Amino acid sequence: MRRRLLLATALVAALSLAAGCGGGSGGSSGGRVNIVLWHGYVDTEGKAINAAAALFNKTHPKIHITVQNYGNSDYALQKVLTAIRGGSYPDIVYLYGSWAANVARTPHAVDLAPLIKSDPSIHWNDFWPAERQAVTVGDKIIGVPALVDNLALVYNKTLFRQAGIPYPTASWTWDDLRAAAEKLTNPSAKQFGWAYVNDASEDTVWRFDALLWQAGGDILTPDDKHAAFNSPAGVKAATLLQQMATVDHSIYLDSGNDNYANLFNSGKIGMLFTGPWDLSQFPDADYGVQILPGDQNHQTISGPDQWVMLDNGDARRKAAWTFLKWFTSPTEAMRWSLATGDLPIRASETKLPAYQAYVKKYNGISTFVQNEANALKARPVLVDYNEISQAMGQAIQAVLLGKAQPKQALDQAAAQVNQVLAQGG
Amino acid sequence: MRPGRRILGSEHLAGWVFVLPATVLIVLFGIIPIGWVVVLSLQHNDLLAAPTWAGLSNYRELAHDPEFRDSVRRTIVYTVLFVPISVGGALAVALLLHSEIRFNRFYRTAVFVPVATSTVATGILFNWLLDPTYGIANYLLGKVGLGPYGFFQDPDQALYAIVAMTVWGWLGFDVIIYLAALQGIPADVLEAAALDGATRWGTFRHVVLPLLSPATLFLVVWSTINALQVFDEIYVTTRGGPLQATTVLVYELYNQAFALFHAGYAAAIALVLFLITLVFSVIQLWVGNRRVHYSS
Amino acid sequence: MRMRLPFSPRHLALVPISALMLLPLVWMFVTSVETLDQTRHFPPTLIPSGIHWSNYSEAWNQAPFGRFFVNSLIVTGTAVASNLLFCSLAGYAFARLRFFGREVLFIALLATLMVPFQVIMIPTFLIVQHLGLVDSLGGLIAPNLVTPFGIFLLRQFFRTLPVDLEEAARIDGCTRLGVLFRIVLPLSLPALATLGIVTFLWTWNDFLWPLIVITSTDHSTVQLGLASFQGAHDTKWNLLMAGNVMALAPMLIVFVVAQRWFVRSLASTGIR
Repeated sequence: MRRRLLLATALVAALSLAAGCGGGSGGSSGGRVNIVLWHGYVDTEGKAINAAAALFNKTHPKIHITVQNYGNSDYALQKVLTAIRGGSYPDIVYLYGSWAANVARTPHAVDLAPLIKSDPSIHWNDFWPAERQAVTVGDKIIGVPALVDNLALVYNKTLFRQAGIPYPTASWTWDDLRAAAEKLTNPSAKQFGWAYVNDASEDTVWRFDALLWQAGGDILTPDDKHAAFNSPAGVKAATLLQQMATVDHSIYLDSGNDNYANLFNSGKIGMLFTGPWDLSQFPDADYGVQILPGDQNHQTISGPDQWVMLDNGDARRKAAWTFLKWFTSPTEAMRWSLATGDLPIRASETKLPAYQAYVKKYNGISTFVQNEANALKARPVLVDYNEISQAMGQAIQAVLLGKAQPKQALDQAAAQVNQVLAQGG
Repeated sequence: MRPGRRILGSEHLAGWVFVLPATVLIVLFGIIPIGWVVVLSLQHNDLLAAPTWAGLSNYRELAHDPEFRDSVRRTIVYTVLFVPISVGGALAVALLLHSEIRFNRFYRTAVFVPVATSTVATGILFNWLLDPTYGIANYLLGKVGLGPYGFFQDPDQALYAIVAMTVWGWLGFDVIIYLAALQGIPADVLEAAALDGATRWGTFRHVVLPLLSPATLFLVVWSTINALQVFDEIYVTTRGGPLQATTVLVYELYNQAFALFHAGYAAAIALVLFLITLVFSVIQLWVGNRRVHYSS
Repeated sequence: MRMRLPFSPRHLALVPISALMLLPLVWMFVTSVETLDQTRHFPPTLIPSGIHWSNYSEAWNQAPFGRFFVNSLIVTGTAVASNLLFCSLAGYAFARLRFFGREVLFIALLATLMVPFQVIMIPTFLIVQHLGLVDSLGGLIAPNLVTPFGIFLLRQFFRTLPVDLEEAARIDGCTRLGVLFRIVLPLSLPALATLGIVTFLWTWNDFLWPLIVITSTDHSTVQLGLASFQGAHDTKWNLLMAGNVMALAPMLIVFVVAQRWFVRSLASTGIR
């Protein structure tokens, strides 16, 4: 999941403060229930959501859904916060997975656990495990999967051929990654073997998480009370990064997440750990996709986002649930993926005939779908997760910049995290 | 004519009538929201669940927070660099532009362009210019045997790179203020000084500068208020890094409020920033009142 | 410096300065005429690989930009006019009138600039909501009707004017309001023009507040419209820059036109 720029926003749906509780210009009119959905889709996805809404409205005459673009998803949470404070908010809203634990704290977010239990037609277990983990906060389930992705190895075939290295295989190890990156690095041509986002944000952390899990480590202890990322597995992962960055100098450190894609497209970077959303940015590169190089395993990390339901009363809640069931059903979800290139959110979609067309249309996407099976672990869904992420991000950034040793940096971050967790969030 | 009591009384009334519309609007959209922030700073509030009363504990926590203290230090370093460089630089450029040379209109518009350009575009531009590997800056510096520098990627250089970027982005603003002020200097005053045998530098120091002092005071106060709140440019480039080297007060505040959901704590930070700014401004205005030369 | 150049030595300094300042505009323009694929190169080039003017019409049509421009103009125009009026009144009072609580009030108004908008945006929103102005142009205008910046600016400028003119007018029986409008303001065109430009700039470029207050496309502004080119994963840089260039144009036009007032010909001398 990529982050973009700019300031915080907040949004309110409707103007009817005088009318009382407006509720996002929804409501009932003559037996028909009106619901509102907020999203951040533009372009292809924007067209797809409009088409989906139109189709739904046609086939469900008792419900009318209005879809509204709230701007950039980066600011969705602030918009929702202000909307809730203003008393006027939508029925369904697209939110990043990293906010799940915080969203669960507002009484306006609908707990879907009872609905899922009583309504098997949602086929909850058909969703990938990583998605289900991302929406589960304790006993509550606060969203329906909206998007899933994962990190895989995207490589520039031309550069590999020029350097005389065979393409990455499914059994590549960290040593293979390191060796290839070194061979692909050419300082005089300003060419790097690998690129890594080094802005200390979650973008920096989640790539490290994949390495951590591959080495057999974990982010937190099973009881979520202490840091575990400074284990020998974590140190091993951080040392790999340190060696490649400060000894081999084979990593391009991107100070944000804007440059690496264009550099890859311009043939300046050999390999990336990235997700399917970036593929459309490589029109000029002959790229291939492979599962991540591994250590003890080839685990990857998934970054699911969700549709959160907000409570505007019984009628609208029911209507919203009907929409979400329809929208995430295998047929509609496959239609969406085919139009947008997003990964299928349900395992059963791979059996649909449309899936073949999908795989053909998007070069390399099938590896990403298969890779979803490697997304076995998930990041902790805790209210304090962002503080944990920031501590880890600072540590990894320090290691990559050569300003700290792996063990010390991780230990320091772990101490910070333990303090945060001890305060009980 | 001796002003009578009636006129004196009416001056108070007139003063208040004149300021009333502005005051009402600013109270509504400025003072009242700040009151809300004060209340927020006394709460443990994540803007999602119901808040709990915190009393002064947010402030007590701030006093012991090393990250907060570091962000104060960085903000002050930034401000102390930004204000003199941008105001001084703007004066120099304004003097260059205060003439009848050809293309003057073009130059003035050019200098103003960065001010009108969106922060997003500016951030992308500087990210590229100062990229350690691919940027033009290191390329040019390499030609004269300097560098390569890390700029935004080097924790020791990042804050200074931000100073450079923001000076570039705001210079034009100060320039037009100075240009407007320079219009107010009557040519006969300058002629008189020249006739008196003053050198160009002497005229500048003893005639022009004092006459520009109201504008200078304005720019110093205004730039300080802005510099203490710098955020946008950091958000689109370094994101507070690397290694928090550019985490200034508002960035820390933003992080606390919207990434970590500690809105009450962020409000406390905002109020401390407010006090710091107020102290700076009051001192500057007080010094200004004594040293600024308004026309007789 | 007695250099014999065929042109003024000022050009030597102004040319590189201008070049440095114009760099973003050049880059924006180059990007705005490339295809999306052509923009996917790093480092970016300052020479376009092709000229595709169609980006401009495509950007214009992707969202109802005509409507956005009208909205932005209405909001900005109103903000400029109201600021010129209210800041003149208040600025004059602070500059010339002695009234009880003057200094304290001035500091208090100025102090409202000392709290970052990120913190006060939620309460400001709630106030606007109470006034029933959410999702309307009025909601965009209301908090921008007057700024302490303008009051401060004009206070400084008014004080530089010779006070005898005003006193003479008062003795002649002119009301204070008359003095302001007939004597002071005509002499303050540079300051007023400057305030006008700056208010135009801020209101035109405002992104955060409109994003909070506006939901419907009918009431969106140009800056909000530009945001529609930025997706969560991908940004259409060519269209975004075309949009940015179009959004920048009114700003620059206003500036060039307003130069008449705040940079008067040096040939005019005499009593100001």
